[in-house]
Amino acid sequence: MRSQFWGLYVREILRTFRNPFVILITVVQPFMWLAFFGSSFSGVPAATLSGLFHTNDYIAFLLPGVLSTSMLSVGMFGSMSTIQDKRFGFMKRILITPTSKELIFLSKAFGSATRGLVQIPVMVAAALAFGVTFSLSPLEWAAWIVGLLCLALGFSSLFLAVTAPSTDWQTPGVVSNFITMPLMFASASLFPSQQFPPWMQAIASVNPVSFSALLGRGFVLGTGTDWWDLAYLVLFAALMTAIGYFVSARWLKVE
Amino acid sequence: MTTPVAIEVRNLSKRYGNGGGRSVLALDHVNLSIPKASIFGLLGPNGAGKTTLIKVLTGISDITEGDARVAGFDVRTQSMQERARIGWVAAEVILDDDFSVWENLWLQAKLQSLTDWEERAAQLLRYFSLAEVRDEKTNHLSTGMRKKLEIALALLHQPSVIFMDEPTIGLDVGTRRMLWEIVTGVRKEFGVTILLTTHYIEEADILCDHVAIIDEGRIIAEGTPSELKGRVHADIVQLETSDGLDPAAIRAIPGVQEVRPQGNEWLIRVGSSEEFLPRLFAAIPTERIRRISVEKPSLETVFLDLTGKRIGAEEPMGDIRKFYAQIRRARG
Repeated sequence: MRSQFWGLYVREILRTFRNPFVILITVVQPFMWLAFFGSSFSGVPAATLSGLFHTNDYIAFLLPGVLSTSMLSVGMFGSMSTIQDKRFGFMKRILITPTSKELIFLSKAFGSATRGLVQIPVMVAAALAFGVTFSLSPLEWAAWIVGLLCLALGFSSLFLAVTAPSTDWQTPGVVSNFITMPLMFASASLFPSQQFPPWMQAIASVNPVSFSALLGRGFVLGTGTDWWDLAYLVLFAALMTAIGYFVSARWLKVE
Repeated sequence: MTTPVAIEVRNLSKRYGNGGGRSVLALDHVNLSIPKASIFGLLGPNGAGKTTLIKVLTGISDITEGDARVAGFDVRTQSMQERARIGWVAAEVILDDDFSVWENLWLQAKLQSLTDWEERAAQLLRYFSLAEVRDEKTNHLSTGMRKKLEIALALLHQPSVIFMDEPTIGLDVGTRRMLWEIVTGVRKEFGVTILLTTHYIEEADILCDHVAIIDEGRIIAEGTPSELKGRVHADIVQLETSDGLDPAAIRAIPGVQEVRPQGNEWLIRVGSSEEFLPRLFAAIPTERIRRISVEKPSLETVFLDLTGKRIGAEEPMGDIRKFYAQIRRARG
């Protein structure tokens, strides 16, 4: 079982990072977020920024949020890879070996999550280039990274569960757009949720993207890590992985 | 002494859909017993149920009814054990083109949970003349090389049974013949049982020890190619003349079994065309004969005889089809 998981997991990773365009976009995209979105508040007086964001460094505020929203989209790639495997018959090749559908799901979910994590060093480097400073506490670093991993794993599992019974190549994109937009904007990732109308605050209060953004923000802004945020993300990942596991075992279509 | 069996299929049915009006019975009470280390051909037209049978036997599709054992394992209840003992070669080449030849073998070894696989993989690459390209990405290989690699992948874990689903479809004649040699060599060298589906008559005839003819989900005949051809104790002579002939004159020629006139064309069923033709030329002035052709007993004529249609379903059936359909009806 370990052998099969490792084979498929490595395949996911290598397929992704052997594509030069994927590497280019992975590196450039976070810079673009910080450069364009982060700079949009560059002309705002420091006092206004502090009032709005409780910091006068909007890029430091934005970094954990952007990374969290990036984890939203990584699941889409796991789904697309699944659809591609079905369409080109590779899913059959895998399943005519002693490999279970559940293992295929797990390798794709962890593969997507790992792919998402690669954005962390790139984003941190970009933030350092924009003058953001970081705590050196290994525990807080670990908590932030584990939180992001949980978020990526949770959304990858959710996407895979949705696309497991499908062979339509358009499904991952449509589902991604449907899920990503509301979860990104109804979260504390880009703006503090205290400014939201009550209905959006209600969504943001349960939205795992908010929990990830707040967990990272506590670390980056030096206000302290809230371990309940991490616990929530672990729970979210566990629940989504369990759902994806069950759905794949039962409904993963071979072709 | 009974022959050891590699694949045993009993009353196997597969229905797609929920059993209502839109459901399709793709396999209808199929029975097969395939001896170990044989090449067994499943011959039939497109849509006959060949691929469905492979899907069911490899555990890709569920069984609706009946039982199947492959390599000693029950397909339904011992699916994982079975999959460790089978290999698969698809109609279309399915490789991971982001990977090199060696990496494809590595992945297959991982999927089969193999530990000491490198030596076996290197041996297979040498056997299939792929050692030179082991570090090449598979999308840089020729179709023939890709097909060879697929067979190497199927053999890596030393399976008892290999399923080959229309392995030569879409290949040029040269590559197809090369693949026939490989399939024969693989059986001899590695002692595996090969279940091969095809709709190429020649392929089934040349490669297979046993052939089952399948149509509309049912096995309609089974035996060695010689046994099957022996079922049709006749040659078919197609004759075109410049003007009308008296059918009685043809029927009067010794050895003629049936005559079907169609204008200036004649379909004549004879015991032996070698004996019939000199008699025909003696009976009819040769200047009246425009065209003459002889079809010897073949798996195609067996299929035609049994179903009234040719295996290449999209090909025009022509008069021969009608002729055989009539014979079949006459036989009841």
